[in-house]
Amino acid sequence: MSSGTEGSTDLAARRPAGGGVDQVRVMAIVLCVILVALVVPPVVILIIRSVSVTNPDATVGGFTLAHYARFFTNPDLYESLFNSVVFSVFSTILALLFGGTLAWLVERTNTRFKGLAYVTTIISMGTPYILYVSAWLFLLGRSGPFNDAWRTLTGSFQPLFDPYSMWGMVLVEGFLWSPLVFLLLSSTFRQANADMEEAARMSGAGVLQTVWSISIKISMPAILALALFVFIRAIEAFEVPLMVGLPGGIDVLTTDVYKSIRETIPPDLGYASAYSVVLLFVVAVLLSFYGRLAKNAGKYSTVTGKGYRPRQFDLGRYRWIGDAMVLFNFLIVLVLPLLALFWLSLLPYMRSIRLEAIAQFSLENFATVLQSSYYRELALHTLVVAASAATAGIVLAFFTGWISARRRTGGQVLDQLATMPLVFPGIVMGVAFMMVFLAVPLPIYGSIWALAIAYTVRYLPYGLRYTYAGVLQIHSELEEAGGVSGATPIQMLRRIVAPLLSPAILSGWLFVFLIASKELAVAALLSNTQSQVVAVGMYDLWRNGQGGELAAFGLIWATVMTCVASLFYFATRDGDRAQAL
Amino acid sequence: MDRRQFSLGMGALAATGLGIPGLRAHAASPELIAAAEAEGQVVWYTTMIVDQAVRPLVAAFEERYPNITVEFSRAGSDETALKIINEGQADRMLGDVFDGVSTFASVMAAGFVEPYSPDSASDYSAQFKDPEGHWHALNFYFLTAVHNTDLLSAEDAPQTYQDLLDERWRGNMVWPVDATPVGAPGLIGNILLTMGEEDGMAYLQQLAGQGIVNMAASQRAVLDRVILGDFPIGLMCFNHHVAISQAQGAPIDWIRMEPVMASASLLGLVRNGPNPNAGRLLVDFILSREGQEVLASTGYLPTHPEVAALNPDLLATGPQPFDTTFMAPDIVEQNLADWVRITDELFL
Repeated sequence: MSSGTEGSTDLAARRPAGGGVDQVRVMAIVLCVILVALVVPPVVILIIRSVSVTNPDATVGGFTLAHYARFFTNPDLYESLFNSVVFSVFSTILALLFGGTLAWLVERTNTRFKGLAYVTTIISMGTPYILYVSAWLFLLGRSGPFNDAWRTLTGSFQPLFDPYSMWGMVLVEGFLWSPLVFLLLSSTFRQANADMEEAARMSGAGVLQTVWSISIKISMPAILALALFVFIRAIEAFEVPLMVGLPGGIDVLTTDVYKSIRETIPPDLGYASAYSVVLLFVVAVLLSFYGRLAKNAGKYSTVTGKGYRPRQFDLGRYRWIGDAMVLFNFLIVLVLPLLALFWLSLLPYMRSIRLEAIAQFSLENFATVLQSSYYRELALHTLVVAASAATAGIVLAFFTGWISARRRTGGQVLDQLATMPLVFPGIVMGVAFMMVFLAVPLPIYGSIWALAIAYTVRYLPYGLRYTYAGVLQIHSELEEAGGVSGATPIQMLRRIVAPLLSPAILSGWLFVFLIASKELAVAALLSNTQSQVVAVGMYDLWRNGQGGELAAFGLIWATVMTCVASLFYFATRDGDRAQAL
Repeated sequence: MDRRQFSLGMGALAATGLGIPGLRAHAASPELIAAAEAEGQVVWYTTMIVDQAVRPLVAAFEERYPNITVEFSRAGSDETALKIINEGQADRMLGDVFDGVSTFASVMAAGFVEPYSPDSASDYSAQFKDPEGHWHALNFYFLTAVHNTDLLSAEDAPQTYQDLLDERWRGNMVWPVDATPVGAPGLIGNILLTMGEEDGMAYLQQLAGQGIVNMAASQRAVLDRVILGDFPIGLMCFNHHVAISQAQGAPIDWIRMEPVMASASLLGLVRNGPNPNAGRLLVDFILSREGQEVLASTGYLPTHPEVAALNPDLLATGPQPFDTTFMAPDIVEQNLADWVRITDELFL
């Protein structure tokens, strides 16, 4: 492709129109074709299924609106909807407050023990939810150390507090997502321009005032976008409502669907599909708010060609509060769950924490896990699938994020296509992709590539948030300078945008890799004998009551993932340092 | 609805309990073995607990037939049925053999079960096999109430279904809510079959007021909650799981709450599976005396008439006999949807 003329049009007008082959336009068209092929079939198959009759022999045929009628006339719908909203709002607030404060403390203040916050985050990002939820439920449960002490004191069966409640759900979900919030907001805070904060401080503003009127407001698009993500994830959440809510008799929308699915064997997916289509509309509305927000995002870009490593706030005599918070996070999100798992892994059956149980300690669970080729295969499959999905996803997200953040032709369409997978609850996406893979004449179904493709689609929106937010923070003057110097868009992306974006790209890759490695809902239906993955294996262990083996395998897996995550973490930090130079 | 008493030829079983090994050693036909070895592998969609039952069976099969590897995938009854039906409808069957308490009704209705009556199962009692060979029972289950012996002594523990209505147990019982006859719906069915429609529903209404804690997990996981001490009482737990845990020293015991629910796990061949001969060989092996002895050695209760259970106390016809309600496959097929609906309406 020729370059000279394009470089100059690029500078003259941000959206070069016509005049020969436009690299950006070709890129947009290619991306559009790929995204349509990945994202549209599951949606179409869901819509068809939601208006189709499911026959007794499990074939699908005939048009019906019965599934929708059932959805809207379900008397429990409003109670479940209310529970879903309460659960999602409060767990989002908890995750944002806790994770966000932590991120700010670690990135922008002189709080100590920062390493612990990263260690906690890295390990927790690679640890499947099932492992966390079961560990917390053990700790907070009726036989956990707190309730156990209470019951020993009172001699009654009745526990002091019941984790199987709405507040138990909110606490568990909130802490489950706080590491994600920390990871995402820490990169935002790290890259924010400190000039305005310093100006505020010099004009006499206190720390809190500066944080409120400058730091938070600068990061507002990132915070709101993140809140939306966590909220949507909580609406779609399955593990916590299933493991915590169901025993406590608290239904949310997803457990309603779960209950409707389990009414018949095999499940009638028509109702679940109708539910998903309704949710698709709800989320589309939420996303339109986000779109409006992003429209004004230009005025928030603070990264320019200038040196931008922000200086840190001195917390002075309040420093101990920051220290305490970092330590609290380290304890709650890392140490206690790990200790609980370690305790369980050494015992032949689940026992509460008592001195006399120590006599039963053995390494048998670890021996079983390490000797079994089954667990090795689980691990290998998971690493391959997660790495493939992260790589494919972040490549798509890089180009899509740039085109849409820079408002190039087709940017909005690409953004919407790449964001669409968010509307899928995981279990529904698994079902939809299963139907798609069975319908295409390629031997994908049952292989690990089925999982890799589904994960790529599922986590594309997450990768996109990294690249999109990253591009927004790079002032376009740098790209314009490249254009003036005669670079083609591809050269400019490669030589200017990609290096500047490398922390975001690496963080995004790391994030998608880690979150894909613990995906359960999609994998539950797509994984097969040749493609079992860790999260599914752990879910089976939990369901089967193999708690000791689950704990042992969980600890070994968490160790492996921590090694992988640390490699990428240091790569990311090196990238940052290189940039700072 | 009719109620069937579960009366196996357990007397005969007890008599042959110390059966002479090797006397009736089973051997599959050389043609089948050759054809199976040519296929080289077999895929088993199972609902059984992996560490307790699947791994020992697979190891024994692979030792017996070293040229054939077994790939297995463990899932619940609903997911297993869904996988087979979807693969079948797409004409892309990947599984060869499957099992489960409630997988058969839907998979058979969809036409994806291949009838097969292996020689090894010719002596099985009539209630343990389908006359047309669609399924054979590979092990059976007794499900009943259990109690944590640290929290609750045998004297204090409830003994009858009426005892469960005691104020003391409100909020202190837990059960598995899987939509299968071995989950909460099985207890509903047991009550309705035993007490009759009207009295049964009246009882269930009262039971629903007891706030039984629902767990979307296996009976094994529910039992672990009781062992842990989260709840003093568990319902719908397998008595052989209790015995396995007792052997490890766990503070747990099972209650002869009559009639105890009895059920069987069924084994069958997938139609148009990729390895039909190896599939036949695996079914043949699991049902054979050799396979059933492996299963019995894990503490499971074998269906083979000549294989004795490791712990005869667990059997309805053991030293301390107990009354049962047998959930025969046809009873389950007719009533399961109703039982699941009642579970959902009253208890979930």
